[in-house]
Amino acid sequence: MLKMTSVRKTFRTDTIETHALRNFDLQVEEGDFVAVTGPSGSGKTTFLNVAGLLETFDEGDYQLDGKSVQGMNDRQLAQLRNEKIGFIFQSFNLLPDLNLFDNVDVPLRYRGFNSAERKQRIEQALETVGLANRMGHYPAQLSGGQQQRVAIARALAGSPRFLLADEPTGNLDSNMASGVLDLLSEINAQGTTIIMVTHDPSLAQRAQRNIFVRDGQVTEVQTGTNIQELLQQTAQV
Amino acid sequence: MNQIGPIFRALLRNKVGALLLALQIALTMTIIVNAIHMIENRSSMMARESGMDEANQFHLMYVGYKDSFNERVAVETDLLEIRKLNGVVDATQINSTPLSGGGWSMGLTTTPNSQDGTPVSLYFVDDHGLNTLGVELVAGENFSPTEVTYRLSNDKQWPQNILLTEAAAKNLFPDLTPAEIIGQTVFIRDDEPMTIKGIIDHLQAPWVQWSNVNNVMLVPQRGLWNANRYLVRTEPGERDRLMREVEELLLAKRDGRLIRNVTAMDEQRDDAYQDFFALQTVLWVIVTVLTLVTALGIVGMVSFTVNQRRKQIGTRRALGATKGDIMRQFMLENLLITSSGLIIGVASSIALNIWLVDTFSLPRIGWHYLPIAMVVLVIVGQLAVLGPARKAANLSPALATRTT
Amino acid sequence: MIAYYGRLALLSLKKNVLLTGLMIAAIGLGIGAAMTTITVNYLMSADPIPNKSERLFAVQVDNWSPNEAYDEPNLPPDQVTWLEATQLTEAKMAYRQAGMGTSYGVIEPKGQDQKPYLASVRITYADFFPMFEPPFLYGSGWTAQADEARELVIVLSKEANNEIFGGANSVGETVTFSGNVFRVVGVLDEWEPKPKFFDLATGAFNDMEDVYMPYTLKQALELDTSGNNNCWKPIAEETFQAFLNSECVNSQFWVEFEDPDDKHAYLDFLHNYVAEQKQLGRFPREQNNRLHNVMEWLEYQEVVADDAQMMMYMALMFLIVCLLNTIALLLAKFTGRFGEIALRRAVGASRRTLMLHYSVEAAIVGVLGGLVGLILAWLGLQGISALYGDSTEGLTSLDGTMIAVGFALAIVSSILAALYPTWRACSIAPAGQLKTQ
Repeated sequence: MLKMTSVRKTFRTDTIETHALRNFDLQVEEGDFVAVTGPSGSGKTTFLNVAGLLETFDEGDYQLDGKSVQGMNDRQLAQLRNEKIGFIFQSFNLLPDLNLFDNVDVPLRYRGFNSAERKQRIEQALETVGLANRMGHYPAQLSGGQQQRVAIARALAGSPRFLLADEPTGNLDSNMASGVLDLLSEINAQGTTIIMVTHDPSLAQRAQRNIFVRDGQVTEVQTGTNIQELLQQTAQV
Repeated sequence: MNQIGPIFRALLRNKVGALLLALQIALTMTIIVNAIHMIENRSSMMARESGMDEANQFHLMYVGYKDSFNERVAVETDLLEIRKLNGVVDATQINSTPLSGGGWSMGLTTTPNSQDGTPVSLYFVDDHGLNTLGVELVAGENFSPTEVTYRLSNDKQWPQNILLTEAAAKNLFPDLTPAEIIGQTVFIRDDEPMTIKGIIDHLQAPWVQWSNVNNVMLVPQRGLWNANRYLVRTEPGERDRLMREVEELLLAKRDGRLIRNVTAMDEQRDDAYQDFFALQTVLWVIVTVLTLVTALGIVGMVSFTVNQRRKQIGTRRALGATKGDIMRQFMLENLLITSSGLIIGVASSIALNIWLVDTFSLPRIGWHYLPIAMVVLVIVGQLAVLGPARKAANLSPALATRTT
Repeated sequence: MIAYYGRLALLSLKKNVLLTGLMIAAIGLGIGAAMTTITVNYLMSADPIPNKSERLFAVQVDNWSPNEAYDEPNLPPDQVTWLEATQLTEAKMAYRQAGMGTSYGVIEPKGQDQKPYLASVRITYADFFPMFEPPFLYGSGWTAQADEARELVIVLSKEANNEIFGGANSVGETVTFSGNVFRVVGVLDEWEPKPKFFDLATGAFNDMEDVYMPYTLKQALELDTSGNNNCWKPIAEETFQAFLNSECVNSQFWVEFEDPDDKHAYLDFLHNYVAEQKQLGRFPREQNNRLHNVMEWLEYQEVVADDAQMMMYMALMFLIVCLLNTIALLLAKFTGRFGEIALRRAVGASRRTLMLHYSVEAAIVGVLGGLVGLILAWLGLQGISALYGDSTEGLTSLDGTMIAVGFALAIVSSILAALYPTWRACSIAPAGQLKTQ
């Protein structure tokens, strides 16, 4: 489903070279719910950006749905993002000038659905996240948890195969965070593959599968491993 | 490390914004300097004196159309009657006037059959010409009543004596004083001699854009062609009344002629310089609106920057910057951008002027335009920043602790 | 999709009214100034007779002084003498030809309540009417026989006919012009070719003459010469005939060819004609004969006034300033939207899609700016015509072409202005902008 083989990503400035990812190998199967943890600067976010086709990589191979993404142009990448991937961000990234309906509509517009289908999908997606009755509201009128639900609805509306979540609960209190995670679990149960970056071990434990990223490399860990400990170990190294 | 890209790009983004503003200011300066130069150039041409008493003069044209119309009788009796009118200083027949745009020019030489003639424009007047025109003798004498002769349409003969403007006399005899020029002989039509009887101070030819506009010759003749012109000089304040009275006086004769173009001399001046005035007005509009656009552009840009830097400004304030510090920061930034624009502007102003000189034979700009324009634009720039900068200074330091 | 972009664009434009207003005002003012001056230049250099400007030629021959050219560098006079105007017309070596000049005279009142009418006159030949195609309201031009027989025939302009006959069909009526009784053969409809290409001597945009009559009457009736008369050689005698026979140039001479290539044959004819005249002691200079078709002639005579050109260049630079202004404002505006752009990229908008999206916004600004610009241009042209008075009559109207040009200029320039800001905005990497807001 998602397969990275020896992926390397390096950031360079005139003086420093940073290996954000090196020999990064990962295979995610359809229906997985993967939590990615790791210390700051370990390459989690770079991994997510590469996985989500927001960033290119320097070496290695990345196959999405059995197809190598290498050498694809901007339009092909955009189309893949649009059709197969849904994004959820820490800071929601809702467009403040658009109401909920129009916010969820954004990816669908680029998909080229007709207006009846768009309407049906938007309503269904907002229904799923429990905000169908607030379609005409603007993001500023919602709480943080509600805003993230809208972002999830936006990610879901195009029926993507993958959901990529970058610290989806980072800006939320624990009560709201829990609710959002319930929602993600539900979505996963319906067949959508989810990769979630988080630094919160308790959240990671709710995923089916945990991976730990350190110095741009993957360590697979058993679900239920004390990630807190791992993090502390890393800090000591 | 991800941040280096955006920071660098942010810098570049600001650089481009600043460069755009600098270019805008450079071009604004270029346009303003050259437009004002053109305006000034026209103003100096418009400021030239015609040599006449314009506020108290008018002229009119008459055309005889019946066989019964006797040009000679008409001119003799008309002038006598006009001069007798209450408020009239003097009157003469004249073929054309300064600022009228239509007249007669000939070449004069100091030796017969010579190639290099001095072009002069001709006014045919009688012995009342000087007084009616309002010009002064510098040397020599006015025409005497007895030497005024009559001229037919196809006459080729020229009278014995003429008067010249000082400018024309100097052109012909650059080495002589006016007193010495009196009595000299000049030649017209290759070899017909005429004697310079007097020199008048100043009088313009009919064409304001003519390169020899100060070269004028007065000829003591009355024209007997069927269309001609009277010039009338009045007491101050009497002109408008007399314009009507003279026209009525001539029409009342019912001697087979019509009267056209009863024109006050200052109205004539406005007509003559209408295009100049129009160009000046258009350029003034461009200069004003341009300055406004540039100023508003600065206001818009700075307002936007202030908005974007709210958090930064709040942080600065929280760290101890005074309101004055914040204002100074924006004013200084604008001063830097404006100054670099103005330095480019000096070069492009001169370049445009060189091109205008080549293409439209405009004179060169005086150097003093450049510093004046620079100072004005710096002031405009600073004034434009003032509003948004004050807004920035009034931002609350509490912004530092907010997330957006 | 475009409708969607349009909706988003309006939303974004409404969000920052001041900035949007500034951009629209800047483009509007720039376009207004540019269109005002371009229109004046465009009308000044318009083809006054497009259906045959390729086949009508102004003729120049050089009868000027042996010592100096009429104008440097060795240019022949712009006008011709009475001798050439008559002899070249009568030679009939072109498909059509007409010598012409101007005069004036008084048309006497027909009734008690009428006033005498001072009329400007174009004296010319019968071919003038088929050559320059003035529209006739009544009747027609005169015949070549009338030229030869020096018949007292007259064609009235619409204005003169209104003045003298109250606008009635006056063909066959008579008018008394400077003591001679003329028969009206035709009345023209409105006719104001701009520029007045066939006679530029006293101004390219002067009014048309009031009446038209045969050139051959100049000699017969000793008609006065008006317009521009230029002599290099003293006139031999004090007679009207001596003036006519002089080397003074005061007339124009035009020919029409069926095929523009006939000009070569005609130049040969002119060469022979001048050679013959040299035998008679005229034409002391080298042969210097020239033919210019209408547009070449307008170019050669520099019909577009320097002032009009200068104003246009100034206005175009002004437009550039306005565009720089717009670029800077758009840049600022799009910079403030990096987050939105990154988000759109993440959810599947390609760069091209976003370029299109933001170009729509720029185009809306362009259309609105264009609209403001055209209104300002219209006002500007009113202003110009008020400032310049009669001399710009007919040079200050916006036609369909200019309105289209105005809109095109506005949209193209605002899209050009938007190009860089849009490109900058759309080329940001989405990843960096999404993490922190």
